[in-house]
Amino acid sequence: MNAVRSRYIGLLYVAPAIVFVAVFVAYPLGRLVWLSLTNASLLGGARFDGINNYIRAWKDATFWTSLGFTIKYTLYITPILMGLGFLAALLTAENTPLKKLTRGVIFLPVVIGLGTSSLLWWWLFDQQVGLFNRALIDLHVLSEPIVWFTHAEVALWAVIISVVWKVVGFGMILFVSNIQGIDREINEAAMIDGASYWQRVGRIVLPLSYRTILLATLISAIGSMLAFEQFYIMTAGGPQGHTFTSVYWIYQNSFVFFKLGYGSALSVILTLIIVLGTAMQIFLTRRRERT
Amino acid sequence: MRLARLAGAFALGVSVLAAGSLAASAAELTMWVRASGANAAQHLVDLWNTKHDDKITLTVIPDDQMVTKLATGVAAGDVPDIISFDLIYMPDFMKAGFLEDLTDFLNADPNQAKVAQAYKDLASYEGKLYGTGFTPDVSILMWNKDLFKKAGLDPEKGPTTLAEVHEDAKKIRALGGDIYGFWFSGACPGCNIFTMSPLMVASGAKILPKTAEDEPLQGPGVEEVLQFYRDMWSEGLIPASAEADNGQNFVGNFKTGKIGIQGAGGFLISDLKRDVPDMNFGVTFLPGINAGQKSSFVGGDVVAVPKGSKNLDIAKQFIAWQLSDEGQLEGLAKNNILPSRADLSKNQYFTDPRVVTTAEAIGLGYVPWVFHFNDMVNSNSSPWIQMIQTAVFQGDVKGAVATAKDAMKSIASE
Repeated sequence: MNAVRSRYIGLLYVAPAIVFVAVFVAYPLGRLVWLSLTNASLLGGARFDGINNYIRAWKDATFWTSLGFTIKYTLYITPILMGLGFLAALLTAENTPLKKLTRGVIFLPVVIGLGTSSLLWWWLFDQQVGLFNRALIDLHVLSEPIVWFTHAEVALWAVIISVVWKVVGFGMILFVSNIQGIDREINEAAMIDGASYWQRVGRIVLPLSYRTILLATLISAIGSMLAFEQFYIMTAGGPQGHTFTSVYWIYQNSFVFFKLGYGSALSVILTLIIVLGTAMQIFLTRRRERT
Repeated sequence: MRLARLAGAFALGVSVLAAGSLAASAAELTMWVRASGANAAQHLVDLWNTKHDDKITLTVIPDDQMVTKLATGVAAGDVPDIISFDLIYMPDFMKAGFLEDLTDFLNADPNQAKVAQAYKDLASYEGKLYGTGFTPDVSILMWNKDLFKKAGLDPEKGPTTLAEVHEDAKKIRALGGDIYGFWFSGACPGCNIFTMSPLMVASGAKILPKTAEDEPLQGPGVEEVLQFYRDMWSEGLIPASAEADNGQNFVGNFKTGKIGIQGAGGFLISDLKRDVPDMNFGVTFLPGINAGQKSSFVGGDVVAVPKGSKNLDIAKQFIAWQLSDEGQLEGLAKNNILPSRADLSKNQYFTDPRVVTTAEAIGLGYVPWVFHFNDMVNSNSSPWIQMIQTAVFQGDVKGAVATAKDAMKSIASE
């Protein structure tokens, strides 16, 4: 009797969370799946259309190209963000005034909106008035200004540079809190044993940062798979649609072409891909952790 | 004396009650306008509010959110009393049943007959009228007179054919340095339907298909105009940054005084007067291949009444008023804004011949009546912009047109 009662009390405690998840996650997700099975238009009207949207998505070359581009972007930017974030954390982990200031400066762009920073970088990369070209010419890296958004590969790197500037501070803060949490005695013992700085980083700091690395990688990879604003503002999908990301293509279909049903189907597919990718990443990391 | 006081009090009471009932009968209307047309709309609404008891409150909606906002508003039964939006959405909105039928009301208004034909065409669907012209903009060709003079060209004579544009651009580019002959935003579909398509239409081309059976991109003008751009690009008459410009720098380069010729909108005249008052520039119609051919793209906003408007009659009064001489001249022309009535292109407020030319362009301009305009043209992945980029920057003019034709037909069949 008591067990049943305590079970009900437990349910009561979790009820707010269940209601929250039901209203803000389960219902919208269910609605998304339902819309994906209709020919819903932004201009109104929706008729059940079976799996036609999914068949169409299968044949939609632009969607798969945009997905490939998004994965490429994610594979490029995630290691850069992790590596630079970790290095910045190593450099600034101690709480001296200068290092605190450096941390603040590196973290500052994180609080700027991604849209704002993208617009800022779009101007910096401008061929005629942009300071980035000017700086590269002054440093003798370039002989004349280049148009950054004419070629997909160059445009991709322009976006990566802007996003790294904007986001790297976030990973750094996660790593700093992790590094500061490592017991000082472990490091000191290693120093007494004659371990060099990089040996301590490789044998102590890195292994003890495993969970933080996993967390930061997941956040970064998921964020990159959902990239939109930076490409919308800086490349507008160009040149010739070569820098469309998956979310950009979903946006195009849903809100520019008014095809809400089809856009929903693409969203479901992208969600599944991200969930599968994330699960695989967690699985592989845990297996590695156990071995 | 007491009686007089009583009578006075009675009279005061009656007048207060009358004023109260008058105030109660005055309505508060809401109007949505897209951001690009907000300035012009504000002038009209301000003038209306000073002259009428019924007041209108304007709400500015970001351009790219208007469709979503109206669609969700109609679905939720929460719409403004009046709406003004990019005219190109008219066919989709009329088909979707978002708008009130204004056929009888507009046909009874003598001013409607004087509205530029492009607006009347675009606001018609299955024999009914759903809106009318509101705050127009129109494409024109601009040239920098200072650069023309430096290049030894007649600064008072703008180019009247594509060949002349090409020749003038060559001479201006010969000035060297960062002075270029021509500018267009090569990655901006909207800018190019606005400024490049009229060159094709002037040359006898038909651009977009109305139905799946309609053949798009017809007439020699299409390939010739693309080849004309390709030649200017290959010869280096256009800055390299044009290839990647998605419209954010549509008119910025011309303002620097380093561009000889470019297609633009009438809005640029007041921009230039305000931002670079010393620049000497001319305005002419967008030309075709042969002398005498000219056209323009009529853009800007239409005004309509959404289904579910709570003040339909007053909304109609506002629409009729904005078409009147008072609305068109005192609300628009006086503020350097083009009127939508073609008969008022010459008026007491337009003393600048460049503005008169722009206003006249509305009368000879075209606007495509198509569903799926975004898919076919406005989107960054549209066949229209793919065609331009392939033809101009890669040089495959014929292949680009053929591919775009197939894609447009496929979209039209949806």
